Amino acid sequence: MHFDMQVAWDSLPKLLAGLGNTFTVLVPVLILGLLFAIPVALGRLKPGARSLPATIYVSVFRGVPSLVLLYLIYSGLPQFPIVRDTFLWTFFSNPYFCAWLGLALTHSGFMAEIIRGALAAIPPGTIEAAQTLGLTPRQILFRLRLPMAARYALKAYQNELLIMVKSTSAVSAITIIDLTAAANTVFDYTYDPFTPLLTAAAIYWCITNAIRLGCSAADRKFNRHLVRQ
Amino acid sequence: MPLAGFVQQLGIGALMTIQVAVCAYLLALAIGTMFALATVRPRSLANIVWLPYASIFTGVPSLLVAFLFYYGGSEIVISLMAIVGIKAKVEVTPFAAAVAAIGMVYGAYLADLIRSAIHNVPRGQFEAARVLLIPAPMIWLRVIMPQVLRLALPGMTNMWIVVLKDTALVSLIGLKEIMAYAKLASGVTKEPFIYYLLASAFFLGMTWLTYFVAGNLETWAGQGSRRAKIRGKAHAL
Repeated sequence: MHFDMQVAWDSLPKLLAGLGNTFTVLVPVLILGLLFAIPVALGRLKPGARSLPATIYVSVFRGVPSLVLLYLIYSGLPQFPIVRDTFLWTFFSNPYFCAWLGLALTHSGFMAEIIRGALAAIPPGTIEAAQTLGLTPRQILFRLRLPMAARYALKAYQNELLIMVKSTSAVSAITIIDLTAAANTVFDYTYDPFTPLLTAAAIYWCITNAIRLGCSAADRKFNRHLVRQ
Repeated sequence: MPLAGFVQQLGIGALMTIQVAVCAYLLALAIGTMFALATVRPRSLANIVWLPYASIFTGVPSLLVAFLFYYGGSEIVISLMAIVGIKAKVEVTPFAAAVAAIGMVYGAYLADLIRSAIHNVPRGQFEAARVLLIPAPMIWLRVIMPQVLRLALPGMTNMWIVVLKDTALVSLIGLKEIMAYAKLASGVTKEPFIYYLLASAFFLGMTWLTYFVAGNLETWAGQGSRRAKIRGKAHAL
């Protein structure tokens, strides 16, 4: 068991390229996941016709591992001629597109629950007050409920964000050389398991802790009106 | 249509997935309980081990940990045994690497969960038990732990599902479980969609089964507690 500084230094460009790919996957997934999640959360909030599909959406995409979804989209869908022979193929032949879609679906399932919980936590009196003041439902949603929900959801969002950063390591299964896969390729030609993997682990550790610090800074800023224990 | 032979193989793989997940979860539970009990008091000496452990294992993807244990595991075990003075050659199987990786990663999460459950047991329970001169091991075993179980159960259920799903990911180190067989069947039959669909059906079925069992478990663990039970709100389904 040893850590070879020379190997670590030499493999750093490869690992950083992998890190770049990790972020290429991560950032669109976070945006897409959030966009998918908001209508689902709103659908699940009110009992009614939209509640059932939203519930199914959440339970399916939270229940299926992201790796299975990635395989299903990247290898499974091209089985159908409609995907392979039409314009859809330009999208589905691209591993990045499949990674964005697959991870965004998983992410949105969890995000929908976080947003729903946060929206449900808003005191009803606040919304009644806004209605009394004559705000339109749209104004109440965008000026009141979503900003308040964002504050409530911050802690849960931090956890989900950390999970997503770590979930991106699954994309190596569909040919994307992310940070984990890059560390593996370095192992393949150096036969040194510790140096590349520990270096990659250190990079992940820095990212997750940067996110933790960023989230607690955001928490201090947005929730500064709350009493600290 | 899926071929019966491949479906049978998928079933064998599914059993393997469950085996890995159960072993990893038990390991995580052992590690989590140990750390939770050791660090129940803030500023305890065990924090010297716990804080770096938690920071490292919650900050790194479990797949990376699994790769590290699989490729470097035998060297790690050999050098650990050399400290004790045993010389032996060890081979690390994908099974052992997967169980160790998932168990150690989720042990860190479960420790946090169990510790906060212990903190949420009302102080009066400890004080009353001490006043009644119940011996300390009995206080923990018969008074505190049943209440901890009730408080920690929803979180432990979610963690079990996360562990089960992570087992699919960790199969990338070469574990012969459901994803590996689904991949094999897809390659041979050129019908990948149906086999991956079957794999996802397995995980969905397991999730639903878990919530069903967990609901009953929570009723059982909640015996004697007065808390109003909210039906169908705690979980996704």
